[in-house]
Amino acid sequence: MLGSVFAKTIRDRWLGWVIAVASLAALLLIAMAAYRTVDLGIYTSMPRVYRALLNIPGKADVGSLAISVLITTYGAMTMAAMALSMGGASIAGEERAGTIGLLLANPKSRIHVLLSKAASLVVLTALGVLALWGSILLASNVLSVSIEGMHPGALMLHLLASSLFYGSLAMAIGASTGNRGAAAGTAVSLMVVSFVAVGLLPLFDWGKNVVKALPWYYFNGSNPLINGVQWWHVAALLGASVVFVGAAVVGVQRRDLKGQSVGVTLFDRLRANPTMEKYIGKIIGSARVSSIWVKTASDYQGLLIIVAYYAILVQVILGPLYSAMPKAVLQAIAKLPQGLVALLGGGDISTAQGFFQIETFGLMGPILVMVVTVAIGASGLAGEESRRTMGLLLANPVSRARVLAEKSWTMIVYAFLVGLVTFAGVALGSVLGGLGISAWNIAATCVLQSLIGLAFGAFALALSAGTGNRKVAIYGAIGAGIAFHLLNAFGMRNDTLAAWAKLSPFYYYLGSDPLSNGMNWGHAAVLAAISVVLIGAAFPLFQRRDIHQRG
Amino acid sequence: MDDQTAIRTEGLTKYYGKVHALEDLSLEISVGEVFGFLGPNGAGKTTMIRTMMDEIRPTKGRASILGMDTHEKSVEIRRHIGYLPGDLALYPNLTGKDILTYFANLRRGVDWSYVEALRARLDVDLSQKVGNLSSGNRQKVGLIQAFMSKPKALIMDEPSSGLDPLIQRELQKMMREAADEGCTVFLSSHTLSEVQRVADRVGIIRHGHLITVEAVSTLRSKAMRRVELELNATADPRVFEAVPGVSDVDVENHRVSMSFGGDMGALLKAASEHYAVIDISSQEADLEEIFLTYYRDEKVTA
Repeated sequence: MLGSVFAKTIRDRWLGWVIAVASLAALLLIAMAAYRTVDLGIYTSMPRVYRALLNIPGKADVGSLAISVLITTYGAMTMAAMALSMGGASIAGEERAGTIGLLLANPKSRIHVLLSKAASLVVLTALGVLALWGSILLASNVLSVSIEGMHPGALMLHLLASSLFYGSLAMAIGASTGNRGAAAGTAVSLMVVSFVAVGLLPLFDWGKNVVKALPWYYFNGSNPLINGVQWWHVAALLGASVVFVGAAVVGVQRRDLKGQSVGVTLFDRLRANPTMEKYIGKIIGSARVSSIWVKTASDYQGLLIIVAYYAILVQVILGPLYSAMPKAVLQAIAKLPQGLVALLGGGDISTAQGFFQIETFGLMGPILVMVVTVAIGASGLAGEESRRTMGLLLANPVSRARVLAEKSWTMIVYAFLVGLVTFAGVALGSVLGGLGISAWNIAATCVLQSLIGLAFGAFALALSAGTGNRKVAIYGAIGAGIAFHLLNAFGMRNDTLAAWAKLSPFYYYLGSDPLSNGMNWGHAAVLAAISVVLIGAAFPLFQRRDIHQRG
Repeated sequence: MDDQTAIRTEGLTKYYGKVHALEDLSLEISVGEVFGFLGPNGAGKTTMIRTMMDEIRPTKGRASILGMDTHEKSVEIRRHIGYLPGDLALYPNLTGKDILTYFANLRRGVDWSYVEALRARLDVDLSQKVGNLSSGNRQKVGLIQAFMSKPKALIMDEPSSGLDPLIQRELQKMMREAADEGCTVFLSSHTLSEVQRVADRVGIIRHGHLITVEAVSTLRSKAMRRVELELNATADPRVFEAVPGVSDVDVENHRVSMSFGGDMGALLKAASEHYAVIDISSQEADLEEIFLTYYRDEKVTA
């Protein structure tokens, strides 16, 4: 697989595509299975805004609903994201890694490299779309869900054209600027904005024509699943892609290639200014390297900000959204099968508490904390080893135990910070929506949310301390999270499994319905004890082994 | 343990599964000594250094620095030593100043005027993010970091990698100065000439075995060189083959070249007895040739 630039790119990228498509296929299977057991009336009676955003067709049956909700939203965005990450990295990625010079030391032109990368992008995207098509046919067959009268092939052709559009756009920007972040960022922004706009703008009369300027319209605006291929839409997307590749060719020929480098941030520019230096230096300079835990905190500050922003924004929107939902819809949703509700974290959606339990705390809350805690737990130790900085850090008179203790401290502080912003968001949402949930109960739930996220972060930390392998730590913690979540979800649904659910940390998270009943200190103590034991176990594990020099 | 020994290893052994990275390595280095640790790539130099730093733990044997066990007292030891890892990696998103501040904080402060002096000597810009520095300039930041706490011992893994010759010379001066003030310097290298210029003694390692420890002066006299003489007449190889330490004699008209590892006086005497010597050139043997010499010796003594 190292015969050419084309083959090597395929070799570097195929696994990501396989994982993406396999995950989508699994989600599609679950969605179809779930929708089969649901009274679909509730979806069609949802508010128009909600339906437009989720791409729910007016007349829904199981197949079209599952495909619409999954493939034309998550699926299409996932495939486009895979393509644009490849496209953006095609030249700029090699520049950042510092390998472009070596690659071009061979008798191959820049254009040859670029076109090889473009070819691998087209081939992998096409294979990914084909596999997804296969999974639609397979899922509908296995579950005997009728897709008669639908055109999944047409949808897939639109999907291919759309993914190539974003991929080649990112390629043009990356090749012309050498900035992979700008390439992926621009393409993702265009994708998300146009996705939301195409969902919402047609609700207004003036918006119906505006959306025609947006790329997402040419993907799903004609509803190819129901209406078949809209050839000129496909042609428009592919034509634009060809233009982008052309722009990439011109762009990469004209500019200077960059060596290995790190990005320059706004702060860095300010710091370069002598009058600002004193102040900015305090923020991003000496202050952030004052100790190991502060430096760790500074390293993960960006991640925390993204998570916090998301937590607050969504919660603030959810409160008013709940109070705006018609009662009939809520009652209908309340009739969702118990299994599905349990998977979403359980809760009675006819009450505001239950709604937040499903929408916020059931899944999203623990995930938000875990994103931060698992990242710190896994990368805090193993990351310093794979980046080969651990040896230098430990050349200072600090013990391994202290390094571990300070990294754990950052993880604990950040877990509770995520809990705090979730509290702020939910409390504000509750006030804005006039839902009247007790602030104490929200606080109690957020503490439990921090604790459950911390437990899995502590698990990642212990794995990281024991193995020095970041991937083992991340996948181990995520795997444990999913397994215990399912154990708890099935336990809630099934009396014979109820006893087993108590083995899952998730039972001690929402099992006592803290949003309605307030804090269960016993459960909080169990969750805290799990973290204490796991972090405690990390110390001897880390103490005993050899430090790795390479990832 | 006497006060004069700064670094001591006893039977240090490290196995990675079936790979024997270090085999029964015993060494003693005195206070104020510059010790060069010489070996080709993959000989076990870095493994040795990482074991001394308690980054990895020996399969057998033990080591002590400044009289303290490298495992039991590792934190206390690190208070007194400066370390430069091989294949240096720094935090790319921090500036040189940030990194030095970070480590200074972990050491409860350093003398910043000394840091500035080091910076000026090595000529590096500390306000740049290290991810944007060239590898030589990154190495300089690593060097400042190792020297800045005025350590009692310096342990450096291939410290001159990536440095230009001028800075290499400056670094050699810095090492000598540190040693003159009582600092023990342990440096690994794969170039004999560098080690010869700065070290008092040299240990040679190959395939995890310590082959020999020699004073630099001994090594120099023993070391194989390629000697070429230009004579006033066609040379007779037998004249030279009779001199102890000569091998591989090659005659080409008036020119004779040979591998030589012995007393240069004896060779010149033998030559001038038979010929007039018009020109002489002596080239340092490469490392591999020296290893071969010592291997031959090892086999002979074994």
